[in-house]
Amino acid sequence: MTGERFFYRLKFFKKNVSLTCSKIPRETQAMSAFALLPQTAPFGDDARLSLDRVLSAASPVQRAWLAGFLAGIDAGQAPLPRVDAPTRAAEPLTILFASESGNAERLAQDVAKLARKGGFKPKVVDFADLDIADLPKHERLIVIAATWGEGEPPARAARAYADLMGESAPRLERTTFAVLALGDTAYAEFCGVGKAIDARLAELGAVRTVDRIDCDLDFEAPAAAWIKSTLDAFAPIQESSDNVVSIDFGSHASTEINRDPVAAEIIEHVNLNSSRSDKETVHLVLGFDGAVPAYEPGDSLELFPENAPILVDAVLAATGLHADDTLRRVLTRERDITTLSVKTLEIFAAETEHAEVRRLLDEGQARSWIEGRQLIDLVEAFPAALTGQQLTALTRPLPPRAYSIASSRKEVGNEAHLLIAAVRYDAHGRRRGGVASTFVADRLKTGAATRVRLKPNKHFRLPDPSTDIIMIGPGTGIAPFRAFVQERRAIGADGRSWLFFGDRRYTHDFLYQLEWQDALKDGSLTRLDLAFSRDTPQKVYVQHRIWEQRHALVDWLDNGAQLYVCGDAKAMAKDVRAALVATYADVKALSAEAAELAVVELERGRRYHQDVY
Amino acid sequence: MSKELSRNERIKEASGYLRGTLAEGLTDIVTGAITEDDQQLVKFHGMYLQDDRDLRAERTKKKLEKAYSFMIRLRIPGGVCTPTQWLQLDRIAQDYANGTLRLTTRQTFQFHGVIKANLKATMKAIDTALLDTLAACGDVNRNVLASTNPHQSRAHKAALDLARSISEHLLPQTAAYREIWLDGEKVVGGEDVVEPVYGRTYLPRKFKTVVAVPPSNEVDIFAQDLGFIAILDDAGEVKGWNVTVGGGMGMTHGEEDTYPRTADVMGFCRPEDALAVAEAVVTVQRDWGDRTLRKHARLKYTIEDRGLEAFRAEVERRIGKALGKPQPFRFDNNGDRYGWVEGEDGRSHLTLFIENGRLRDIPGGPSLMTGFRRIAEVHDGEFRVTANQNVIVANVSPEKRPEIEALVEEYGLTSHATALRRNAMACVALPTCGLALAESERYLPSLVTALEERLTLRGLGEDEITIRMTGCPNGCARPYIAEIGLVGKGPGRYNLYLGGAFDGSRLSKLYAADLQHDEIVSALDPLFAAYAHGRKPTERFGDFVIRSGLVAATRNGRDFHANTGSLAEAAE
Ligand code: SRM
Ligand SMILES: Cc1cc2nc3c(=O)[nH]c(=O)nc-3n(C[C@H](O)[C@H](O)[C@H](O)COP(=O)(O)OP(=O)(O)OC[C@H]3O[C@@H](n4cnc5c(N)ncnc54)[C@H](O)[C@@H]3O)c2cc1C
Ligand SMILES: Cc1cc2nc3c(=O)[nH]c(=O)nc-3n(C[C@H](O)[C@H](O)[C@H](O)COP(=O)(O)O)c2cc1C
Ligand code: SF4
Repeated sequence: MTGERFFYRLKFFKKNVSLTCSKIPRETQAMSAFALLPQTAPFGDDARLSLDRVLSAASPVQRAWLAGFLAGIDAGQAPLPRVDAPTRAAEPLTILFASESGNAERLAQDVAKLARKGGFKPKVVDFADLDIADLPKHERLIVIAATWGEGEPPARAARAYADLMGESAPRLERTTFAVLALGDTAYAEFCGVGKAIDARLAELGAVRTVDRIDCDLDFEAPAAAWIKSTLDAFAPIQESSDNVVSIDFGSHASTEINRDPVAAEIIEHVNLNSSRSDKETVHLVLGFDGAVPAYEPGDSLELFPENAPILVDAVLAATGLHADDTLRRVLTRERDITTLSVKTLEIFAAETEHAEVRRLLDEGQARSWIEGRQLIDLVEAFPAALTGQQLTALTRPLPPRAYSIASSRKEVGNEAHLLIAAVRYDAHGRRRGGVASTFVADRLKTGAATRVRLKPNKHFRLPDPSTDIIMIGPGTGIAPFRAFVQERRAIGADGRSWLFFGDRRYTHDFLYQLEWQDALKDGSLTRLDLAFSRDTPQKVYVQHRIWEQRHALVDWLDNGAQLYVCGDAKAMAKDVRAALVATYADVKALSAEAAELAVVELERGRRYHQDVY
Repeated sequence: MSKELSRNERIKEASGYLRGTLAEGLTDIVTGAITEDDQQLVKFHGMYLQDDRDLRAERTKKKLEKAYSFMIRLRIPGGVCTPTQWLQLDRIAQDYANGTLRLTTRQTFQFHGVIKANLKATMKAIDTALLDTLAACGDVNRNVLASTNPHQSRAHKAALDLARSISEHLLPQTAAYREIWLDGEKVVGGEDVVEPVYGRTYLPRKFKTVVAVPPSNEVDIFAQDLGFIAILDDAGEVKGWNVTVGGGMGMTHGEEDTYPRTADVMGFCRPEDALAVAEAVVTVQRDWGDRTLRKHARLKYTIEDRGLEAFRAEVERRIGKALGKPQPFRFDNNGDRYGWVEGEDGRSHLTLFIENGRLRDIPGGPSLMTGFRRIAEVHDGEFRVTANQNVIVANVSPEKRPEIEALVEEYGLTSHATALRRNAMACVALPTCGLALAESERYLPSLVTALEERLTLRGLGEDEITIRMTGCPNGCARPYIAEIGLVGKGPGRYNLYLGGAFDGSRLSKLYAADLQHDEIVSALDPLFAAYAHGRKPTERFGDFVIRSGLVAATRNGRDFHANTGSLAEAAE
């Protein structure tokens, strides 16, 4: 409550700053340390004075940061006043990004926009295209890096990342840099890649201009603020008056395509696995009246889930807050009440003075303790009565989940189809369910409404219609390829298409079997290979089929075919790549190194596409 | 009756000796099925394409085709296999089938639930076990049965030898089987010498042969196309065989010109002529059988149409000698004798009851699969599958016997084998059988439980009465020669047949139609009561219901459909 009023005031304050600062002559500012805010500022006297005290003492960077921070909080809200920056000699600035699902890339574009406004000559470079030898040429460097897998770099960035970490990396004495790391506190190696790059650049002699920021899934606001202050730090010190106003606050919301969440209705909801299967994969048909997200085959939709009511109640009960219905609604819809990070434990320990938890932290056992555990385990293992604020503070905003779109608009019109595998498992004696997937499987019924947001992936696009495609998508990895095949059928593409699919059992887990039968008949699918792991004594996976078909496969690739891999990142994607290397080695009689190079060539030539998770 | 050949005849003709497009069909991985024509041909290779009928309703909604899989039937003349082979079959069931082994009413094993992708691997494994599935189904001479009769070792050996040589002699010669399943050399089919006995189009219909050693009619010789009854001399040696022809069970509800028929005894032949006689009977049926109408193509109809005399004459002409006069013989039952028996050679044999022939580990019940696996691991004799879906652990040496007795105990292999249950048989029916109209294997056990309650109340708890159920009128469990026969009419509804002979020599009669569970029980209970009071010493239930005028006797096939129903009610 009080918090809300506080925000409200600051919003006005920010506007005032932008106006007043450009009015007040510099001398005045300099001489009177206590009169930064005008009497007219909509604050009580003591509030105004204390604010004055803070602000007048603050450095331009600090003030800019605060402004950006406050602005960030309101990003996406009422459009903010724009005042153009003064012209300044364009300084070259390189924004180097490592991205898998596009967040880092999108931020890099935002930085470029802002930088250009700020008078820089920005150049956006994808790690995938980075030649390590050229790195010293980029003297002003902003790195935006996501972490994937279990603390690994995004697939595309892997090679250059290895070069950067390797012996042959050049010295960078003349470079100044700043790193923005994207990550997810749900993972042990939080922002591992960003951290490593940050350390490595310094090690190579580069000078850190601004401290690294590690962003969680709700990165928009903090990233915006950090970007602002970083750009200023790179620029020669300017009048503080420019600092705030030159931020294009709108830019986060407005990229080419509209990324606002849109309402969708569940038109069809069917578990594609047979009732004999031990898996559950929901085919979800979303209908949009009017505003269909402008998706392309290869894109994903982000779905905004709700937490399981039973879990919410359990958490509330364990913290003595079961009576608070407002909080119940907030926890259900807006907060991530499953993820447990060391940060969560620290906050919890601080708030509750739970000796046990403190000990876990001090004795460095926190990380192993949270392994496989969730918030509910914490609050039940260490009971403590909390206030609503305290409990909320233990959680982060509930992040949406991405799902590859399994349809082509050319075939399904204003629908979008998703294929969602229910995540269910036991850990520490408790039955657990994935937040979004079980929300969809158990609680999203036909006719229900939900919210989704387009998550484009321009690195996972169909080539021109006459180019052959090889699609490797076991399990839910098949989703985008259903979209590919629909699209190619709709446009009557003449390129051949080859699908590798796999799951547990032929009879019970052959996702979209009837559709693949039709696709083979009408020619929209040229060839199909299947790997079912539980039909035979010895397990068979897609990589085994790839190996069996290696000669035909290399033949297709030599023919210019594009290769797509979608699905499990932990094992499948790696095994498939390994199989591909082995395939080249065998078919073309190459050394392991040469074969590896052949595959790297595919990757650099943008012919080896991955959408793995 | 149209004179045009039936569709199957054209399929066989065009198949190039049972090849069809089977090889290609196996490479079409997007479907678990094969073409309709190939479905007919694959039977000759011992397989049926089926689908799990329990799952049909949900499949299309889930964008899945029917839950197709194959049933694979082995050819094991006389039902004899070694412990090693048993273990190999057990492994195949675990690796490729549904984890169960199904003992059939014709002394062999069936695998269920083998998907197309695993067919070749399964067939290779079967071949490695020195077994095959060739002609286990299809329009050919099927697996040949032989009495197990363990206590007459020599007669049994003679019966087994004859069964084996007939099976071998009448086996299709086409190389298609090795070619398709075992990657054998491609042989260009074409010349008629490929099938000396059958020719291009094989037989008009399935053909079934058995060899019986009285007094046991466990092989139900009267239900078979061709049968040999051992006639023993005083030394217990086989001096020759009575030959029976024209038995069969299959019929169709509401079609009176289809009916079950008990075989006729055609004559007597010397041991050395038996094979020639078998071939002659088969070739006469090949040439005389009705190839225009499959429902009328079995040997039983050929005999009805041409007459037994004409048929015998043609057989004698083809073997170039006359058959002798049938010799006297006596059967006293068509069931199995459970428990241990000593053979003439000092080795002993254990007959174990397997409910409906289904070997599996029942949660909370006996672990049949595991139990028999353990026995096979120690057994030094052989196994024999009986025509009543049971197993004989045969030729157990005195040393091994205690070990085997212990395992039987440990795995509860003899548990709940009460009198009626021991004499009960059900066909497979749902969910795998494509022709089933009602449940059978999955339902009979609970019906038997209900009936046993009543029998016990009537003091008949220990009496042996044969009861058999099938899910449709095809008669796979030979219900029309049981004392109590139940034949599926529709979901949960059965026709009740009574008056079959305990020795399997007389057909039963329709007593009441379309009964549901409770109606079956309440229809039978009064009959049990009457039997308990009014029966003569040693009189069998099947004989009693006829003598006491409860139901009319069926003399043979032609009057099977005549004066049906409860005579008592008719009288009122
Ligand atoms: C497994 C078995 C029943 C059992 O519980 O043991 C069986 C099972 C089937 N029988 Fe049978 N028959 C079995 C013994 C019999 C018998 C008994 C006998 O031969 O002693 C008969 C009655 C005797 C006779 O042939 O007249 C029998 C008469 C039929 C018929 C009817 C034939 C007729 O002349 O009308 C069919 C349907 C057909 O052939 O058109 C049939 C067809 C079938 C099929 C293959 C259904 C089909 O054609 O699609 C069944 C497979 C069910 C499944 O899922 O396994 N089965 N079938 C028996 C396997 C015997 C073997 O190992 O070869
Ligand atoms: C670009 C992209 C595309 C995607 N496309 C698809 C798609 O098409 N279909 C699809 O189904 N998913 C897809 N995903 C994955 C999807 O976004 C979610 O990650 C997935 O559905 C799980 O989310 P959840 O909320 O149900 O589970 P969460 O609540 O996020 O829980 C998942 C977490 O549970 C834990 N966990 C899971 N299993 C176990 C286990 N056995 N033992 C211990 N811990 C475990 C792990 O920590 C895991 O990270 C995609 C992801 C990305 C990034
Ligand atoms: C499969 C998968 C694995 C991930 N692994 C990590 C990780 O190990 N550490 C981490 O901090 N973040 C991890 N993340 C979170 C991503 O870094 C985060 O979503 C980031 O915003 C993605 O940026 P991008 O879209 O530029 O790739 C992972 C995300 C996914 C989907
Ligand atoms: S009797 Fe009918 S239902 Fe039973 S197995 Fe034979 S064909 Fe199938």
